[in-house]
Amino acid sequence: MSTAQPAAAGVAPGAGGLALDSELITVRFGGLVAVRDVDFTIPEGSIVSLIGPNGAGKTTFFNVLTGLYKPTTGRVFLQGEEITALPPHIIAAKGMGRTFQNIRLFGLMTAEENVMVAMHPHLRSGVFGTVIKSRRQRREEREGRETARELLHFVGIRGVEGEYARNLSYGDQRRLEVARALALRPKVLLLDEPTAGMNPQESARFVDFVHRVRDERGVSILLIEHDMAVVMKVSERVTVLDRGEKIAEGSPAEIKADERVIEAYLGKTGTEGSAR
Amino acid sequence: MASTTIDAAATPPTPTAPPSHEVVDRTNRRWALGFAIAALGLWAFYKFALESMPGGVQDAFQTWLPLTAVNEAIVWVICAIGLNIVVGYAGLLDLGFVAFWAIGGYCAGWFMSFFLGQYDITFHFLSAAPPTQSGIHINWWIVLAIAGAVCAFFGILIGAPTLRLKSDYLAIVTLGFGEIIPQVFVNGEDIAGFNLSNGTKGITPLDPITALPVGPEAVSRPLGPFDLETKYLLFALIVAFCVFVSLRIREGRLGRAWLAIREDELAASMMGVPLMRSKLAAYAVGAFMGGLGGVVFAIHVNGVFADRFNFSISIILLAMVVLGGMGNVWGVMIGALGLAWINSTFLPKLGETVNDALDTEINFPSYNFLIFGSILVLMMLFRREGLFPETRTRELVQEPERTELEDMHADLEGDVR
Amino acid sequence: MTTATAVEQAEMRIAMTRKEAVGRLLGVVLLLGVAAWLVLNLVTAPSQFFNSLLFGIGNGALYALIALGYTLVYGIIELINFAHGDLFMLSTVFSGFMMVYWLGAEGANPASWAKLLLTLVLAMGFGATINVLIERVAYRRLRRAPRLAALITAVGMSFILQWVGLRWNGSAPRLWPTVVPEGGISIGDVTLQYSTIMVVTFTIPVLLLLTYVVQRTKQGRAMRATAQDQDAARLMGINVDRTIAFTFALGGAMAGAAGLLYLEAVGTTRYDAGFHLGLIAFTAAVLGGIGNLAGAVLGGFLIGIIQGLNDGLPYGFGQKWSQTVVFSILIMVMVFKPTGILGQPTVEKV
Repeated sequence: MSTAQPAAAGVAPGAGGLALDSELITVRFGGLVAVRDVDFTIPEGSIVSLIGPNGAGKTTFFNVLTGLYKPTTGRVFLQGEEITALPPHIIAAKGMGRTFQNIRLFGLMTAEENVMVAMHPHLRSGVFGTVIKSRRQRREEREGRETARELLHFVGIRGVEGEYARNLSYGDQRRLEVARALALRPKVLLLDEPTAGMNPQESARFVDFVHRVRDERGVSILLIEHDMAVVMKVSERVTVLDRGEKIAEGSPAEIKADERVIEAYLGKTGTEGSAR
Repeated sequence: MASTTIDAAATPPTPTAPPSHEVVDRTNRRWALGFAIAALGLWAFYKFALESMPGGVQDAFQTWLPLTAVNEAIVWVICAIGLNIVVGYAGLLDLGFVAFWAIGGYCAGWFMSFFLGQYDITFHFLSAAPPTQSGIHINWWIVLAIAGAVCAFFGILIGAPTLRLKSDYLAIVTLGFGEIIPQVFVNGEDIAGFNLSNGTKGITPLDPITALPVGPEAVSRPLGPFDLETKYLLFALIVAFCVFVSLRIREGRLGRAWLAIREDELAASMMGVPLMRSKLAAYAVGAFMGGLGGVVFAIHVNGVFADRFNFSISIILLAMVVLGGMGNVWGVMIGALGLAWINSTFLPKLGETVNDALDTEINFPSYNFLIFGSILVLMMLFRREGLFPETRTRELVQEPERTELEDMHADLEGDVR
Repeated sequence: MTTATAVEQAEMRIAMTRKEAVGRLLGVVLLLGVAAWLVLNLVTAPSQFFNSLLFGIGNGALYALIALGYTLVYGIIELINFAHGDLFMLSTVFSGFMMVYWLGAEGANPASWAKLLLTLVLAMGFGATINVLIERVAYRRLRRAPRLAALITAVGMSFILQWVGLRWNGSAPRLWPTVVPEGGISIGDVTLQYSTIMVVTFTIPVLLLLTYVVQRTKQGRAMRATAQDQDAARLMGINVDRTIAFTFALGGAMAGAAGLLYLEAVGTTRYDAGFHLGLIAFTAAVLGGIGNLAGAVLGGFLIGIIQGLNDGLPYGFGQKWSQTVVFSILIMVMVFKPTGILGQPTVEKV
């Protein structure tokens, strides 16, 4: 089950409608336009990558999707429901899970607790119920804990559920971030440079893992990624941003051949990514 | 031991670690038992043993550990546990906690005395006050609940507009409230013609309290000013309640949200934790306990006096929380008991003793500024986790807040609104 | 399914700006109320109005000096230096002892004025030294620590300084003879107090000096660079530790100057003055926009004037609500415009 699935074997793009749809997103900081008029969609059940040179506006765009920034203009829809400029926690609760480029776990909470934090929107117990430990609260906690363990095992964390997150190995921390995001029961999972700091073998395994998450958890996935090998292997569609604008979109093969993309990467005097 | 492959199926099943909550439960049970035994032992000692001790021992106890000082320390403990929820659990610095103490105290003043009789209001409910007396007289257990609720309401009122602010601004705003509210009470003798607080004269005396509102004489008789042992037991029960509530909430959904916010607000909000609501909840629960403390203090001194509520109370409470170990309710209790005792008994008595012996006139109580200030500074410099740290807190405060990575990715540091 | 009509888009924008609009409306209503209150008082009691105004300006100058200390330190290390107010208090006590006991200044004569000037320099040095010491002993070690830790330390420092003040000054307010005579220049019923004249005439050169240091000197440039980005400043060869210490020295010197001026204007010292005046000055710094030097001065004068008018006018809350009025302003500024009047909205980095 863990072998790499060819991209085409996944859910056909567009078959189930759009998991995420953003229309004409523009983000302006003072005079600076970080993102300009970006239309972007994630078909239901697909894996999409967002690439581009540094400073292209990828992270800004991510932050718009998750509600951290309000777009100056434009709208975002999650499975047809408008989520533009809602507070981050509501967007998260509606089904937008994310990981962070520079791992942001709750270091002094256990792996299990980290996952349980993200169940917050799905748990119901209030102050009073918690204090008297009502039957419902007990059941909810028990089930939450079981779900957390199940998620941890799913991402491959076993035996260290009770360790503080900061004491986990780097790889486990990356996995824990995914488990935590999955606890939100997301419709869309955003992975921000998930292979940063991984060696080629780990990256290759990661590609399998992403497919497994999509297939078994039924989420659509958006990655920001710098490692072109990973991008080409994992994604069904690729969108390229450069200086805040979308310059290309298509299958990995199309992107590889796109003039403007090559120019965007190589035209810059070797700052990054050009070797790939 | 940590599995390093991504593929779970490839990992041989390792024995799972004991669930963290069970370890925590066990530790807490041990502490709770220890405190319960100590509390009961102290009660039995004062109630039964002290009388039969030789005169010298009795004197020593009367001087160095009078029961009234213990009862006062309990008031501090209640408030410190409340502040611990705000500062220790949710990581919000509150420098105006005295406001809740004051509001709680005035709830006792309004609902347990003759005071509102000035407006021809007379209402009695399960109170030990003489039925002919005017004013509102409600049983003190109910007043506790009212005061807690009123304070929680004020906590939300104060928090709602201000909790969006950055942590240090929040500290200042709470400080402002901690100044405004006592000033309202000090000037409260005539607010547009209405006497809210009786000004600096204060409201005294309050109704006597009873252990239970009804029942046999033994448990429903009004407690006189010298029945310190029974009051001690009742106050200790309130502490137990606060500890219980703290621990329960801490291990639940809300407690996890608080911890997450304390560690990384932004990540917490991205994981579906509503920042405002969770912070407000911390404020409300903390303020609730502050209100309980206020009522207990009013009963302890048999009145409310506006000029007692000053800034230094907020800071002493903070010192208690910091000394004991932010986030660890047991440590906070020890810190509060210790500092309260130093403040109320040790410094003055030491002063008397030393001055008598050496024929000097050193004003020992004035050193409390130095002591509390130094505690804050020294603890922050050398032992930020407090004397009795919770493991999490220890590691959290040792950690530099901004790591290089975070600095590099400052683009994520936008305001979460 | 997601085609947005222009109408929908417009509706959304309206929804997003409604909150701001309500805030702005509230602000306007509030300002109009204040204006009405001022006019009412001006018409009914003009002389009281101007007397209060002048009194407020004098106080405002003092607040401005103290507020500068908060704003300088906040601007460079983002720490609210709670101890700053108490440093000011210590400076008042120091100035009292220096003027009266150690220099023996008496009466308004040239020798006394010379001693006053000398004390001004010494008090500034005193404030600077203590502030640098505090930074060196406590804050420097906490620069990389969580904010909460540094804040708590500052609160603790404030308590320690208050204790020093208590031991030095005594628990009762201490009365001092002043060099600046009582009374003032009267035009009709309006009196410009000598003390106000003195405070303002001393404040202005001090402010000019500060502006010069920050804008024109190498140290000032280093300060501004460090405030923007410590690491980058370090890479550019700036000694960050020394620059921060220098900033504390500047702030401390302002507090020292304010201490002497307060002593001369009021004539009493008390150990708890630092807490109250410090808070008021902090409010001034926030009102003007914390981190902004001109803002601190503007905020100082504004708060001074508001407080003066509130305390002195027939239709005001009166002196006993003075603190409440100031803190209410603080809270309203924090809630409605946390960046203050002149503060820059935090530019988000991309």
